[in-house]
Amino acid sequence: MSESAQGTGRTGVIHDLGYRHYDGRREGTGAIALNLFTTGLRHVYGLGRSGRSKILPFLLLGMSVLPALIVVGVLVLTGLSDLPITYAGYVNQTQLLISLFAAAQAPVLFSRDLRHRSIVLYLARPLSAPIFAITRWLSLVVSILLFTAIPSVLLFVGALLAGLDVSDQTSSLLKALCLQVLLATMLAGITGLISSVSLRRGFAVVGSVMALIVLSGVVTAVQGIADAQDSEGVGIVAGLFSPWSLHSGLADAWGAGVNVFTPPDGAWVLAYVLVGLLIAAACGLGLVARFRKVGAR
Amino acid sequence: MADVTGEIIGQASVIATVGLTKHYGTVHALTDLTVTVGDGVTGLVGANGAGKSTLIKILLGLLEPTSGQASVLGHDIEQASQDIRRLVGYMPEHDCLPPDVSASDFVVHMARMSGLGASPARERAADVLRHVGLEEERYRPMGGYSTGMKQRAKLAQALVHDPRLVFLDEPTNGLDPAARNDMLRLVQRIGSEFGIAVLVTSHLLGELEQVSDHVIVLDGGHLLRSSATGEFLERTGSLLVEVIGTATERDRLGEALALAGLACRPRGTMVAVDPPPPELTGETAAYDIIRDVAADLGLGLMRLQPDRRHLEDVFLDGAAHV
Repeated sequence: MSESAQGTGRTGVIHDLGYRHYDGRREGTGAIALNLFTTGLRHVYGLGRSGRSKILPFLLLGMSVLPALIVVGVLVLTGLSDLPITYAGYVNQTQLLISLFAAAQAPVLFSRDLRHRSIVLYLARPLSAPIFAITRWLSLVVSILLFTAIPSVLLFVGALLAGLDVSDQTSSLLKALCLQVLLATMLAGITGLISSVSLRRGFAVVGSVMALIVLSGVVTAVQGIADAQDSEGVGIVAGLFSPWSLHSGLADAWGAGVNVFTPPDGAWVLAYVLVGLLIAAACGLGLVARFRKVGAR
Repeated sequence: MADVTGEIIGQASVIATVGLTKHYGTVHALTDLTVTVGDGVTGLVGANGAGKSTLIKILLGLLEPTSGQASVLGHDIEQASQDIRRLVGYMPEHDCLPPDVSASDFVVHMARMSGLGASPARERAADVLRHVGLEEERYRPMGGYSTGMKQRAKLAQALVHDPRLVFLDEPTNGLDPAARNDMLRLVQRIGSEFGIAVLVTSHLLGELEQVSDHVIVLDGGHLLRSSATGEFLERTGSLLVEVIGTATERDRLGEALALAGLACRPRGTMVAVDPPPPELTGETAAYDIIRDVAADLGLGLMRLQPDRRHLEDVFLDGAAHV
């Protein structure tokens, strides 16, 4: 009797197992970097973070998708014979939203770890400073690319639903996507570098807005004046100084459906491409140097 | 020099450095440091700026030494720093926690950054947070933590991937006495019960006396001494005597002891009796003389004890040599 009472009375015993060692599998550098990349990508859109941090990226994304949805609706209902706006042209029209998205979200990836000094915890782990910096940069590149590509793909689907010529639309979309890749690498590099230097988020956003939106406005003004004064060369050279003028200049030269005051021609097209790649590469190297230096402090 | 490193690695020491030097321009952070560190808890003592953090950063591969070599867990710091960083944990001195993330989420993320899969990372994080003593608060953002809780969270991220060696840089910084004792007990457990080698720095010698098996003393980037903690605290052979009364009584005792053949000098309110001469080495001979002298003078003996060294003495000795 008493034995059974003891047996039933004490079933849930908590055992302190003490410290247990881990001898399971450990992932290699590639898998760790991939994990950092996807975490970074999610964090840019506020996923896996507080509810408040989701508001801005999704608000901007919604604002940049909405016109595309309207265009698709009009196209399908009215049966237009062509898209009222080209894919590259759409990106050009929404450049304010794209710039704001890059400026506002780059600090998520590039300021936080440096400001709170959690960067030392990352750098005391297998990923080296260069791999860390490049992985962070790729997260931002892909998130900007998603931001620009989603409306393009929506327009493309709408165009196919409306029965427009598939090969025309496909080649036009692919041109636009290539230009978006170049654009995203530049925007991510510039905003990332600015955010990694000015650690206060406000300063980083203002600095990025200056570098992207204000500079782009100045370049467009110079190009307009150069065009009116018949000195095209000045306008073409001015176009080298902003990622947006590089993007739209190349789109014009490539026949992707954007018109600028002073489109580059001949060897200038190559120069535009090279300068674009150079900006992206220089910013990437700048980020590597910055994180290397921070790690040593 | 390469042979020397090879030899030291052959002894399977946890850390071995040979002639390690780091100069920042004219600032000499570390100069020609040659030490070995074994299992258990090793204390690294020195004033601020003595080169403790610099040494840890060089061993982690975050800083390049100006010259010299070092190996950690058998890996050379220059050729295999990535392998080293897989096997060690690091708790920095300064604040390094993002305020808007919970300790639970952060430690899981850090486990993944060390190469653990998703579910082992969650299990290990929960385990380690329990060991360091973060209970329900682990689900709250770390910005609202007290210093003690932050230190625990920092320690948890250093242990989550089950390293073979942890570098703890000033883990008791900013803690109140109770939290300080908790942290020191935890450090001791990591070295013994968890079986993880520990290199712990502090500028407080007394702390490391309590928990370390071995102590390395740095001063201005130079190695002052490296030996087992017991050796630092060994008996010096001297005796300390205190009698009731003031300095007058103390001096009367001192003079009488000198007449009786025991060399001695005043130290504070006490008389320090030098190690007795060879003819008095019998275990109790010196004690008997002191007792008799005090009785003859009619002085009340208050204290009679063997003198032990303190870690502080190492600095005094070192300063005398330099």
